[in-house]
Amino acid sequence: MRKQLLKLTYLSLASAFIAAPALAAAPAEKHVAITQIVEHPALDAVRNGVKDVLKENGWNEGENLKWNYQSAQGNTATAAQIAKKFAGDQPDAIVAIATPSAQAVASSARASNIIFSAVTDPVSAKLVEGWDKPGKNITGVSDLTPIDKHLGMVKEVLPSAKKLGVIYNPGETNSVSLVKLINEFAPKHGLEVVEAASPKSADVQTATRSLMGRVDAIYLPTDNTVISAMEGVVKIAEQAKIPLFAGDTDSVKRGAIAALGFNYYEVGRQTGNMLVRVLNGTSPGDIHVEGIDKTELFVNPEAAKRMGIELSPEFIGKAKEIIK
Amino acid sequence: MIAVDDLHIMFNWGTPLENHALKGVSLTIPKGQFVTVIGSNGAGKSTLLNAIAGETPCHKGSISLDGNDISSLPVHKRAPQIARVFQDPLMGTCEDLTIEENLALAQARTKRRSLTRAAKSEYQERFMDKLKTLQLGLELRLNDKVGLLSGGQRQAVSLLMASLNPMKLLLLDEHTAALDPKTAQFILDLTEQIVDEQQLTALMVTHSMKQALSIGDRTIMLHQGNIALDVDGEHRKSMTTNDLLEQFQKNHEQIDDDALLLG
Amino acid sequence: MLNSFAFFGAIETGFIYGLVALGVFISFRILDFPDLTVDGSFPLGAAVSATMIVAGINPLIATFCACIAGAAAGLVTAWLNVRLKILHLLASILTMIALYSINLRVMDGPNKALLGVETLLSPLDNLSIPYYIAYPIAFGIVILLVVAALVWFLKTEVGLAMRATGSNERMAKANGINTGRMVLMGMALSNALVALAGALFAQSQGSADVTMGVGVIVIGLASVIGGEALLPKRTLLMWISACILGSLLYRLVVAVALNGEVLGLKAQDLNLITAILVTVAIVAPNWRSYFKGSRA
Repeated sequence: MRKQLLKLTYLSLASAFIAAPALAAAPAEKHVAITQIVEHPALDAVRNGVKDVLKENGWNEGENLKWNYQSAQGNTATAAQIAKKFAGDQPDAIVAIATPSAQAVASSARASNIIFSAVTDPVSAKLVEGWDKPGKNITGVSDLTPIDKHLGMVKEVLPSAKKLGVIYNPGETNSVSLVKLINEFAPKHGLEVVEAASPKSADVQTATRSLMGRVDAIYLPTDNTVISAMEGVVKIAEQAKIPLFAGDTDSVKRGAIAALGFNYYEVGRQTGNMLVRVLNGTSPGDIHVEGIDKTELFVNPEAAKRMGIELSPEFIGKAKEIIK
Repeated sequence: MIAVDDLHIMFNWGTPLENHALKGVSLTIPKGQFVTVIGSNGAGKSTLLNAIAGETPCHKGSISLDGNDISSLPVHKRAPQIARVFQDPLMGTCEDLTIEENLALAQARTKRRSLTRAAKSEYQERFMDKLKTLQLGLELRLNDKVGLLSGGQRQAVSLLMASLNPMKLLLLDEHTAALDPKTAQFILDLTEQIVDEQQLTALMVTHSMKQALSIGDRTIMLHQGNIALDVDGEHRKSMTTNDLLEQFQKNHEQIDDDALLLG
Repeated sequence: MLNSFAFFGAIETGFIYGLVALGVFISFRILDFPDLTVDGSFPLGAAVSATMIVAGINPLIATFCACIAGAAAGLVTAWLNVRLKILHLLASILTMIALYSINLRVMDGPNKALLGVETLLSPLDNLSIPYYIAYPIAFGIVILLVVAALVWFLKTEVGLAMRATGSNERMAKANGINTGRMVLMGMALSNALVALAGALFAQSQGSADVTMGVGVIVIGLASVIGGEALLPKRTLLMWISACILGSLLYRLVVAVALNGEVLGLKAQDLNLITAILVTVAIVAPNWRSYFKGSRA
């Protein structure tokens, strides 16, 4: 009887040893709280990217991952209350998507690990003091458009262009930051910027018309207001034969000549990778803030023809996708 | 002393709805005189009162008080000199405020309002004494919201409020018209009492021919924006309601207003 | 259900928005003036205080200037209504629209970040009580002072004149009250309080944003009207306190609704859950009368 018991004990210990590595392969249970300021395809894509990366690293919701998602439904006060709730829940990490949510979380959850995403300018939003090893408890991924590269692309297609029109909504934080950057980098590319403001999507056409005859090309930053009414800009650009470039790839499908894009799902994945490092023990303060990694060139040669220019074969050759 | 000089009041001037409500009314009321005003609908009685109070701008002519031209003064600037009781019993008081607070409002009619407490304790006794004269038990209900009172009670309080502080002119705009006969008589008696006690100069619009002749010192009849009749003294004392009726008919008016005939 | 952070957070936000409720109380209930200016004066207070604080000006002075700015906004709306005879609702909408541009100008952009900057609330971070309890206590004291001041004011001769203006304007004028001036004064006071709320919110939240004002009037009205459903208007003090209670209740309801995943509800359902809970909160104290009805 005793021998049997001993055998059983040895067997169970042995199987535990064998099983142990398999068990250890599934990572320890973690609690991730995630919030975004409003429902929006881009922000939703970020969230999905984060979740997919977590899954790939062994964290599955319901098994070893407590995934708490809250949307502020566009309301600043609600964002504040969500931040406070998260602070009290004490998750292993908080992911905050978009500037208002990130600021609210940074203000309330002072002791938690925070990773922001889709924040265009984390320094001026006072989330971090600098992009290199921010040092405190916050880091993240910025969706700052690589403006330098974009202006370079415009100059590549139109080497003789001098004046660049930019249409944007001065009420969107991100657009204001982008336009500031455009103004900074323009001289380097020999470009002079002419701004046109469009506070509402109904103002887009008026803004575009104001640029007629004054610019050699138009560039549209990733501005929600202008992009939502983009067809209006395309129509006028084709009529007045002003080449139109954009900051996001979807716009190329809608009539812009070219764009060096990134997609928000990839931003989400980048954020997810950062999150995995934090969940595995790295402090956010030790992780550099990251900008957009991958860009893809999208071109629309037909749109270019309609606007009076011919894209060179080597330019088209660099494209990831050619819109017909 | 109130002087109205060639007063013209126009409504909707220059539009198809133009109404020349008062067509050059001139009237002088010496201090201490109690004048009643009568006339059929549309004669201009309320318009005259509203003009004197400041609610209606004068198209032509002027209104002066003790020699000072007040024609261009807004209502609230005339209010320290001119007190008023409205026809609507609910119009003279604020239903959200208590009886005490309403009286405090009236108390401050004649002076510059400050940041001191409105319902001052030193006023309370005076308010209670005044309310006692109404014999409605309201002096025990100073902290009740006025909205709890009946129309008649509110009109009584309005009358009290109007006479709380000295004034140069008391305007009474058919102030018993919306009350039941018993309450109307009560308010009327109170009015006569107050005007008499304080020797007030008063202008009372009434729809009742009987009232018009029996109350006060002088009766004016308005007809289509002009004064058709102006009697006082012995002549007035000898007039009867039938005489007034004849006068109406002389004005080529058919009287079908029951209140006017039976009141 | 609620962790202490969320609970104290709700109290903190409830007190700040309580100031908004008081502002809405003055315009909507005292002056009978539906005022949408608050959707613009709330972010105006935030913008002015944030911009000044970031520029290095003393936070107390910055917050005070925010109140002055709010008062100015209220005066504009009142002036449009009193002097130009524009309908009050319309006048307030005009000011609200204009303030959007003004706020952008003030902040030189749509957002001004205050994280890590010395604000009026910074001294509270260094007390022995944790900051998330210290903040609501501090705001509670502010609310107490404002409520006391408001009750005192509405009982003065000027305050009573203001109440008469909103209650019965014709009678007020007949009693010598310059109702136009009362409206100007009341609207200035109302929007100064709302701007103060905006300034305090920005400092506790870490940023001022031009879109902060969207829906503020709705929250203010919900607090005032919801509060009145809970507390009878017997005295002025009770009536005013009801506004604060309404604001606190609303925030607590939102905080509870955020825990909806317990019942299988999702993030998108937050607004629906909030609406249902607020309705329940208002009806519950009186449920007996709804069910018993009259048997006459």
